[in-house]
Amino acid sequence: MKLALVGVGGAGARVVDAIRGAEADGDRQLCYGNLLTVDISRTLGGDLDHVPREQRVTIGDTHRGVDDGVDGDQDLAVEVARADAPEIQRALDTITMRTLDGVLVVAGLGGGTGSGAGAVLVERLQELYDKPVYVLGMLPGVDEGSHAALNAARSLRSIVPAADSTLLFDNDRWVDADGGTDADGNADATEERYGRANRELASRVLTLFARGGPDPSSIGANTLDASDVVRTLSPGGVASIGHAAIELDDDGGLLSWLLSILPGSRERETSDERTDAGKIQSLVGQALNSRLTLPCEVSSAERALVVLSGPPEKLSRRGFESARQLIEEETNTVEVLAGDDPQVGSSTVAATVLLSNVTSVPRIDSMQRDAVEHERERVGDAVPASEESD
Amino acid sequence: MKLATIGVGNAGSKVVDRMVEFESKTNRSLCRHVHAINTARTDLAKPEYIPEEQRVLVGDTNQKSKGHGVGGDVEIGAEVMSADVDEIRRAFDDIEIHNVDAILVAAGLGGGTGSGGGPVVIDALQDMYDEPVYALGILPGEYEGGRPALNAARSLQSFVNKVDNFIGFDNDAWRAREQTIQEGYEEMNRELAARIVTLLAAGETDDTDVAENAMDSSDIIRTLATDGVSSIGYAATAVDAQPEGLLDRWGGSGASAEDPLDDASQAKKIKSLVRRATNSRLTLPCEVSSAERVLVVVSGPPSEFSRKGIESARQWLEQEAGTVEILVGDDPREGSSRLAAAVLLSNVSDAPRIETLQNQAVDAQEQIAEQEAAREEKINDLITDENDDLDPVI
Repeated sequence: MKLALVGVGGAGARVVDAIRGAEADGDRQLCYGNLLTVDISRTLGGDLDHVPREQRVTIGDTHRGVDDGVDGDQDLAVEVARADAPEIQRALDTITMRTLDGVLVVAGLGGGTGSGAGAVLVERLQELYDKPVYVLGMLPGVDEGSHAALNAARSLRSIVPAADSTLLFDNDRWVDADGGTDADGNADATEERYGRANRELASRVLTLFARGGPDPSSIGANTLDASDVVRTLSPGGVASIGHAAIELDDDGGLLSWLLSILPGSRERETSDERTDAGKIQSLVGQALNSRLTLPCEVSSAERALVVLSGPPEKLSRRGFESARQLIEEETNTVEVLAGDDPQVGSSTVAATVLLSNVTSVPRIDSMQRDAVEHERERVGDAVPASEESD
Repeated sequence: MKLATIGVGNAGSKVVDRMVEFESKTNRSLCRHVHAINTARTDLAKPEYIPEEQRVLVGDTNQKSKGHGVGGDVEIGAEVMSADVDEIRRAFDDIEIHNVDAILVAAGLGGGTGSGGGPVVIDALQDMYDEPVYALGILPGEYEGGRPALNAARSLQSFVNKVDNFIGFDNDAWRAREQTIQEGYEEMNRELAARIVTLLAAGETDDTDVAENAMDSSDIIRTLATDGVSSIGYAATAVDAQPEGLLDRWGGSGASAEDPLDDASQAKKIKSLVRRATNSRLTLPCEVSSAERVLVVVSGPPSEFSRKGIESARQWLEQEAGTVEILVGDDPREGSSRLAAAVLLSNVSDAPRIETLQNQAVDAQEQIAEQEAAREEKINDLITDENDDLDPVI
């Protein structure tokens, strides 16, 4: 699939940068150079490694109220994005949409620019193109405060109905799932924490949306194509991505390798393959339960898609079938597409699951409660928003 | 018989590829013309035996497909194929129709391209040619889930209504356990290819110097002309290498049924082979007794044929299938090391998988409709706080 990448705000730009970096490292291509970052600032941000300078747009530099940025003020960001629409338009014109399958707008929803200008941009892109406009949104963590929660909650109300699908990523959950970082929480550790989370997110996005090169050995028996992803996402709403991988020589190590090269080792294959099927099933279970970008009630999903990648000789038919079946049972939906993605010579087997239109998401509920409380205090005290501590 | 063979979608193209493989390995020439038609560019790169120029990509200029398939959506499959029907007609202009007896369209019914696009292709062919058009349809297994079942149940109706015969293949019945994804499909496709080619390639030779029981294409066409759903059974056995001298003694390759070779043990061998084929795992499991017509092709070295065997096989089948419309014939394959029997059960009316497929489809359809009806409200609930206190940002 070919998607233009548009990163909005600091967090959005960094994720686009990470996706571009992952493209450059591997053989999967998603945007084919069609990328853009949009930020509101007086100065051009310089901390991106992979986005060429001419593809970074800075707006609002003449707008009063804009200093280093919008300081978390999403309404100001909306105003600036609308006022500077021609500038954004010029930048969008450099993208050759004709050759692409759609757009992926990437934005942090806790910040002012991502949540406000992001919503404006989605609306604008929908007017401009008749191709799908997807959003990859990062939800703020609890420690980012209730103002961030308010930004995200209000932004979701605009973005979700406007976008063709909104893939969400819960920063909180993600850092935990990665095993945590320094207890000190110093600046470098925080930077590294997000850096790692962004790279993880980038690799999931690529596994799901991007295909490898034209190498025939990478074409599976059931290769999923762009149309499969489009169809899975077509109900709209919010989507979550699950991913889990195992190293193949984890349990056998040298011994199993030796056995596999010895003559007469074919007798072992039957039991090996049975284990593989079991492994694939537990892998998918893992992807569904503990490794979702947005933790949610799996059974609330309307459609699902699963891709199994790994060396073709390890992708057992039975494992593939039971993985599909497991997803159908867990999601309680018949709309499940399953595909294989053979990676000759790879030493890992990975399962990537896309859950489309999940409607029971505890983090969104808690974020809305924080937001309502924050709004009440703000209106009640009639004082401007300030950072709060929990 | 001589065929123009057209694979639609991923599954259909792969079966056709395996058919060509089987006939080239067994020196048959059934498929005088092949085409693979698909909406996904990547899948069209896969066939090994279908020449590149015979592969047709459709829908590559269609916004909903663009060469990336149709996402298992039967409606889009039909839409994309209809939009490019002129291109398909142009491709079919190549068919040297005077050189073929019938047209076979192979398609998987669980996905989007084969199930939705297949009937469109069949319509085009029926319009263009008077020759019979048959379908070789692959039914998704129960384990493949509700959506493929729904696609297949709907598509089956269109296929059966439009073709002169629908030969079914049930993935459930042929599912192998311990295989990789790739091997699993390949093996099923090879099994199916062996059956369909053994059956339909009978009588393809222009050689009139064959045994009097030789099948010809009009026999096959007659058996298939039931407008129904059919299933194929198959059994094969290795032929013991005959000492050269023996063949010479009986007059060599042209051995006809009158020869004394027609002995009891050979007759028994033929009959038991036909019996094994009928009771074998059928491409579409069904009640044999529900068949309207039956055709049996015994294929192998002519020295192994036995008129008595064929006659007793026919009698046995008459009992078994409960019909007198039974043709049994042979298909001489000089130098073949196998004796094979392929049994076509035409218009079987009792195939349990079709019923379970339909039930599965009805359940799936209801569930999909419920989910669709609740969709907007559920999304709205998700993004709206409990008391609707928060305003959208824009």
